[in-house]
Amino acid sequence: MAEQRLEMRTQFPASAESLKPRLKKAPEFPILEKQNWLIHLHYIRKDYEACKDVIREQLQETQGLCEYAIYVQALICRLEGNIQESLELFQTCAVLSPQSADNLKQVARSLFLLGKHKAATEVYNEAAKLNQKDWEICHNLGVCYIYLKQLDKAQDQLHNALHLNRHDLTYIMLGKIHLLEGDLDKAIEIYKKAVEFSPENTELLTTLGLLYLQLGIYQKAFEHLGNALTYDPTNYKAILAAGSMMQTHGDFDVALTKYRIVACAVPESPPLWNNIGMCFFGKKKYVAAISCLKRANYLAPFDWKILYNLGLVHLTMQQYASAFHFLSAAINFQPKMGELYMLLAVALTNLEDTENARRAYTEAVRLDKCNPLVNLNYAVLLYNQGEERGALAQYQEMEKKVNLLKDSSSLEFDPEMVETAQKLGAALQVGEALVWTKPVKDPKSKQRTTSTSKAASFQQPLGSNQALGQAMSSAAAYRKLPSGVGGTSQLTKPPSLPLEPEPTVEAQPLTEASAQIREK
Amino acid sequence: MFYTPSSKLPTHLILRNQLRQVFFPFLGIHLPRPPQLFPSSPSSEASSKWLDAHYDPMANIHTFSACLQLADLHGDGEYKLVVGDLGPGGQQPRLKVLKGPTVLSESPLPALPAAAATFFMEQHEPRTPALALASGPCVYVYKNLRPYFKFSLPQLPPNPLEQDLWNQAKEDRIDPLTLKEMLEGIREKAEVPLSVQSLRFLQLELSEMEAFVNQHKSKSIRRQTVITTMTTLKKNLADEDAVSCLVLGTENKELLVLDPEAFTVLAKMSLPSVPVFLEVSGQFDVEFRLAAACRNGNIYMLRRDSKRPKYCIELSAQPVGLVRVHKVLVVGSNQDSLHSFTHKGKRLWTVQMPAAILTMNLLEQRSRGLQAVMAGLANGEVRIYRDKALLSIVRTPDAVTSLCFGRYGREDHTLIMTTRGGGLIIKILKRTAVFVEGGGEAGPPPAQAMKLNMPRKTRLYVDQTLREREAGTDLYLLRLRAARAYAQALESSLSPVSATAREPLKLHAVVQGLGPTFKLTLHLQNTSTARPILGLLVCFLYNEGLYALPRAFFKVPLLVPGLNYPLETFVESLSDKGISDIIKVGCRLVLVGEVSVSECGQGPRVAARMGWVSAQ
Repeated sequence: MAEQRLEMRTQFPASAESLKPRLKKAPEFPILEKQNWLIHLHYIRKDYEACKDVIREQLQETQGLCEYAIYVQALICRLEGNIQESLELFQTCAVLSPQSADNLKQVARSLFLLGKHKAATEVYNEAAKLNQKDWEICHNLGVCYIYLKQLDKAQDQLHNALHLNRHDLTYIMLGKIHLLEGDLDKAIEIYKKAVEFSPENTELLTTLGLLYLQLGIYQKAFEHLGNALTYDPTNYKAILAAGSMMQTHGDFDVALTKYRIVACAVPESPPLWNNIGMCFFGKKKYVAAISCLKRANYLAPFDWKILYNLGLVHLTMQQYASAFHFLSAAINFQPKMGELYMLLAVALTNLEDTENARRAYTEAVRLDKCNPLVNLNYAVLLYNQGEERGALAQYQEMEKKVNLLKDSSSLEFDPEMVETAQKLGAALQVGEALVWTKPVKDPKSKQRTTSTSKAASFQQPLGSNQALGQAMSSAAAYRKLPSGVGGTSQLTKPPSLPLEPEPTVEAQPLTEASAQIREK
Repeated sequence: MFYTPSSKLPTHLILRNQLRQVFFPFLGIHLPRPPQLFPSSPSSEASSKWLDAHYDPMANIHTFSACLQLADLHGDGEYKLVVGDLGPGGQQPRLKVLKGPTVLSESPLPALPAAAATFFMEQHEPRTPALALASGPCVYVYKNLRPYFKFSLPQLPPNPLEQDLWNQAKEDRIDPLTLKEMLEGIREKAEVPLSVQSLRFLQLELSEMEAFVNQHKSKSIRRQTVITTMTTLKKNLADEDAVSCLVLGTENKELLVLDPEAFTVLAKMSLPSVPVFLEVSGQFDVEFRLAAACRNGNIYMLRRDSKRPKYCIELSAQPVGLVRVHKVLVVGSNQDSLHSFTHKGKRLWTVQMPAAILTMNLLEQRSRGLQAVMAGLANGEVRIYRDKALLSIVRTPDAVTSLCFGRYGREDHTLIMTTRGGGLIIKILKRTAVFVEGGGEAGPPPAQAMKLNMPRKTRLYVDQTLREREAGTDLYLLRLRAARAYAQALESSLSPVSATAREPLKLHAVVQGLGPTFKLTLHLQNTSTARPILGLLVCFLYNEGLYALPRAFFKVPLLVPGLNYPLETFVESLSDKGISDIIKVGCRLVLVGEVSVSECGQGPRVAARMGWVSAQ
């Protein structure tokens, strides 16, 4: 050091002379923090090799007393995955300066990353004593409590954090807690506030959009998803959700263009290929639909929704054996869904296995609570089998469900379903029951009615697209079932196409998104 | 007149041409330039806004944006580049002054430079700016590239308790062990940290303490801090060449404003953390705003009267650059994004970068009133943003680690960049160039135009589909039928497998020939994993009126596990009426010692449909 000073003097003759008697430094001891700034600059530029070199040099010179050098070394260790090592280094820092809340925070963070949430909370609480007003401590405490399943405490801490300083991350965690508790409304409240605070955060916008979607508030959902896409046109989740909504409205081409972006970014996403497949289905390109769905199925073989869609498409293609195969696979994964059994029964009927079809219907009727189609299809089968009494019972059951749905909202029913029901009603001599709010207007179906004899028209439906249309609307019904709210508006949108795939498709990205939320 | 060759560089005609063309573009920069003069300019598109003036990958300059300054150091209107160079690996700190592409002067520095700044110290003519280099605890001030003054940070007040203890030690009133304990106590809870001397002492072993105390007790204890960042602040006039104060950020979380002439501390402000980047606007005597990005990831705003920060922006990430554009602060975070804030800490916008930001600086084009932010990224791009709109992307062969923009030589708009490998790149903004929003990316992402990679379906697939439509019911029942057939086969023992574990045997019979003589081949296989089977017998049961066999009963050789043993025998059909019958094949095991007769399977039968063949 003395030499260095000498050298300095030679280099700065002018300055040395112009200086008044300089304050002498203790010559033996270099300043501990001499190169902290350099360490920091290397660290933030992610130049970790250079950073480590400086740290090594600095620690050698100061005999391991330079706290900041150890601190950054620990940070780098943690980034490189050596969490245990980083923990020990941070503990060394905490020994070197016991009054620093920052060191304790990092110790706790390392503990947290090691999965020792309990220990982490203790250290955070310790740190909180040193620094009362740190949102980070509160936030991280909250996160720890989430992992410890103490949701109430977690909420308190996160609210504290928000009170100190608002951060997107805190909002996200808070929203997650509400989702964990299954309280969608509260979660939406939180996310709304978050979006207000940070209107350009695409993650917040997407999550809020998906929540609205889950509640069936499509206008708002679309608004938020659209906003998210404005700020980040390649947002995977937002594109999938928005695309599914476009599919609902029959904008298959627009949805497909959007999906292309995702296909480029995440080419191995099962929901994406499912949605693309259903787009082609909507465009009546069935072979393409099947290829896409099969890819989705290959990527996620245990996803019953993809199997459901595959079953549906194969029914349309009159490949009943394949349809049976996929539907029975779907039932293996999702044995609690009436519609699946109904589709299976449709396939079985077409495979001339009436006995099993009937058993499938029985199961479908037992499981289903509010979809009139199940009963209608069953009634048709029974009628075709000549069991008019059984058919009548199912018909009445269907009327009950229709009335229930009608009471809860002003909805329109699928015209094909209405027509079939009316014909069946006539055949069963129940008379023109006035359950249908809207008379059938479809001229085509009227022609069909006139062209075929009644009995024939009843034998036909299950093999024809008509039945599929029903199957579709049944799927539409499924969409709302889990949400519970507005479970009645499902039939508000009469499918503009005879084959409307949207419902299952829509369910797809939704659940995926919520799964993702849960994962975090 | 344009170019005075430096005495150190006794060269180059080419260089001279180069300079003339590059640094005085009005003399003919739009003429086609000989490409060999400008090596490695990969992206020299005709449409580019930038002229590639100079690229030297071996310039050996390693520095940060804070240590790059452009200034008219000699007052001759010829702007030089001042570089506080850390040297390769931070080993040989040097002060370099560049003129054009050449190094004008180079002098070693005592310690690594943390920041460089040029400023006017006084009003005297000729108006040449002074150069300040912050390094360690000192600021070295140069005038006309000569050392002029050295300012050292004032000592920090030592902890009085600590002082007291050492005084006692000096008078030998305290023994080293007690001293150590007392110092430990101070370290545990004191507000003022201990001096290096005490900290070193606490590290010592018991045996070394005595000597240490004796050696150091006479010295007064000191605490010294170092400068982490530096910038300039106009004193009382807003002119471009007005007198400026130096603003220093120190390791002990303070900001100091120095008087430009007397180098006394005019103001002192304290921060909650160590400042890394500073951004100042206004005048010291009137009103100023100071933004300090700190190591705890926060940015603190201070004003003239505030001793403590007035507003705080919490980034929840580390800032890697801080630039003020008009009244807006733009911060780059180490999470690859640019954020913009008002002076009151309200967030305005965020832009995501494709790669990590390495450095940032301001681009100011006065003639067009443009202020934009430049960000050097780890992927070898320099992106230029006005607000959140991308104006331009400059691609460089190596990642840019420091950059600045301004007047260099006599060219107003020069972009100077140094790269990670120590290279130097100089580009000149074309005079005709206008930055337009959307110069970078706009519209839908390019992926939207790409075709979907759809799995194709073959002709075979379509045929299968058609077949399924025709014979769907059969296919549906295929499994059931196969299962039935299998069950039936099992029941009728057509290809029997031994049911007991004691005799793991498989028997399979084949009949060949057209008659009247047929060949009957029995395939016997030992299905156990390890155990050979010995002493097996085979017998045939048949209608002697219809068939004749040479031997109705024979011994089987030893059966090695896994191998297939074909055993052949001839069968002659005696009847000429085309009648067929069944020949039963039995396998019996003779155990040594006793004649235990056990049946293998159900006594396999060969459905020898011989008559059927002859009937044809």
